[in-house]
Amino acid sequence: MSDGERGRRHDNPRNVFRYGYLFSQLVRRELRQKYKGSFLGVLWYFINPLVLMGLYGVMLGPLLKAVHMPDYWLFILGGLLVWLFFQQSMLGAAVTLVEQSALVSKVRFPRETVPAAVVTVQLVPYFSMLVVVVPLALILRSDASLAVLWLVPLTACLFAFTLGLALMASVLHAYYRDVYPVLMAAFVPLFFISGVLFSIQRLPGLPSHPWLGPVLRWGNPIAPFIEAVRTVIYYGQTPSATVLLYVLAASIISLALGTAVFRRLEGELAVVL
Amino acid sequence: MNRAILPGEVVLEDAWRSFPARNDRAATLKELFTSFRSRRHPDVPDTHALAGVSLHINRGETVGIIGRNGAGKTSTLRVLAGIIPLHHGRAECGGRVATLIELGAGFGREFTGRENIRVNAALHGMGREEIDARIDEMIEFSELGHFIDSPIKTYSSGMLVRLGFAVAAHIDADVLLIDEVLAVGDEAFQRKCLRRIAERIEEGATLVLVSHSPATIERACRRVVVLDGGQVTYDGPTAQGLRFYHRQLGLEEAEPAMAGLPSGAPLAIAQARLEDGEGQPRQIFAPGERLRAALLLDPVPAAAEEREVELVIEVRQFPDRPVFRTAQTTPTGAGRRQVSFEIPRLNLLGGDYDLAVGVREGGEDAPVVFDRVLAFSVVAAEGAEGVVDLRGTWELEPTPVEVRP
Repeated sequence: MSDGERGRRHDNPRNVFRYGYLFSQLVRRELRQKYKGSFLGVLWYFINPLVLMGLYGVMLGPLLKAVHMPDYWLFILGGLLVWLFFQQSMLGAAVTLVEQSALVSKVRFPRETVPAAVVTVQLVPYFSMLVVVVPLALILRSDASLAVLWLVPLTACLFAFTLGLALMASVLHAYYRDVYPVLMAAFVPLFFISGVLFSIQRLPGLPSHPWLGPVLRWGNPIAPFIEAVRTVIYYGQTPSATVLLYVLAASIISLALGTAVFRRLEGELAVVL
Repeated sequence: MNRAILPGEVVLEDAWRSFPARNDRAATLKELFTSFRSRRHPDVPDTHALAGVSLHINRGETVGIIGRNGAGKTSTLRVLAGIIPLHHGRAECGGRVATLIELGAGFGREFTGRENIRVNAALHGMGREEIDARIDEMIEFSELGHFIDSPIKTYSSGMLVRLGFAVAAHIDADVLLIDEVLAVGDEAFQRKCLRRIAERIEEGATLVLVSHSPATIERACRRVVVLDGGQVTYDGPTAQGLRFYHRQLGLEEAEPAMAGLPSGAPLAIAQARLEDGEGQPRQIFAPGERLRAALLLDPVPAAAEEREVELVIEVRQFPDRPVFRTAQTTPTGAGRRQVSFEIPRLNLLGGDYDLAVGVREGGEDAPVVFDRVLAFSVVAAEGAEGVVDLRGTWELEPTPVEVRP
């Protein structure tokens, strides 16, 4: 191969595919860094959601008697799966460019790979949970069905949706270090209104505030993702066409917007970091 | 003027880049989104790191960028590396670019040297197969031995240089962008890096080196660019450029390491390079090869009257052990001319050497002012070690010797 050919092949760092190996290295590094030196290692993937599930399940079920649902824990897990993926990805991605500033400000490479690696790493706990939850749901829930196959496109959409917002959060946090604390503060109330613990449509207070239902259901873009995944896992049903369309549109818009904002702002990253 | 750039070519055209006077982030989101438009004009009252820099570097050139702090050296390099965008103008490097801008770029402290080599090579766009094929070579180059599998938080800065350079040296880049880093680490390894750079340059790569150290630039670069206040104040041969830079700093007498000719010198060496028997520039020789030091001399106008001076050549074993010296009387006032010193058989053994060129006026006891130091290396020869190549023949046929009581 002549020098000329090599030059042309390598001269464009926008050629993201050339950096596929870099991406896999970043993912591996992120994975190892995450649980390095921890005794339980990958078991932590399960502990966090199980603790949350147990806590809410016991509190809202037997103790407060607020929820009466068969296999309520499975109901929670179906939503928690989505929520934890989203929340952990966003928080991890927000700080990643700042954490990796040495990398970002010294070498030219597609910087999207850094937040993308963080989101990709979160697929590991997501799938680990799925591998446990789906068989349990199929066994325990009599109405379980082939609808679980919807998890494939739903996961793809969830990934794209999260990636878009994560790209945005990571680059904005590099400029304004308030982004991460804002996210931290926002995620607590967001968790409670996203319908992880209950069905938004079945809130007992809704009939007296009819406008609140649609706002909670459609105004919060993560809520339909949670609803869709839980419909599939817990109810064993195909999500409604509206929800499916919403999820698809949200993922496309998020990814497009996130990429655009990232591209727009990443040029100055080496200056602001 | 937007023809496609060739591999190894480096172009900066009327490059402007400023930074906000406050060295922090944009204040409001609104300002952020309007900043692109407003900063595109170079007349914003910000600090100009680059204020209309134009440079054209051809494939195979070695260019040093020097200037005082804040002159725009590092910004120039970062702009060329594509790390910082320009506000106006064009910056382009042809072909594959290797950047060695700061120690440990992309290095995770918890990870081993080997893992860091992988990530760093991947950052430069190398794929898995390419890295697999070259990683042993890189590790060997780094000379880190079994430490390569220790976490790099245990490394010294010299060891980090070794790691960083081992990667940069094996990227097969068309353009090498190197900042300071070479100054860290032990001299023997620096030498090895410079030799490696020289090899790459012989293969057609281009070097852009930013350094505070005139000695490093003199050793590695034929051309020097002096920056001041974001502008090019000198662009030309290294010796004059370094003298210019020293004048700019107000240091008429250079530091001993670079030892430029004093302004009263009767001769100026405009160019000096080492060549092989074919007249091709070379830095690496085999024992017994022909080596030629080709010099381009300029008369100094101040020394109008004809004076007798001696041109002195000294060969030193690196770093500073003289092994040979010769001097030749030469007239001064004959206009620019080409002279040379040829060693028909380089009887030196494997190692690193310098060929220093100097001028002496006033006989054998007068001090020699060395103006140029040309580095070269000799590859190891079989069956011999030491400095001088005195390889001869053994006679081992048994010849009985009578021993008398």
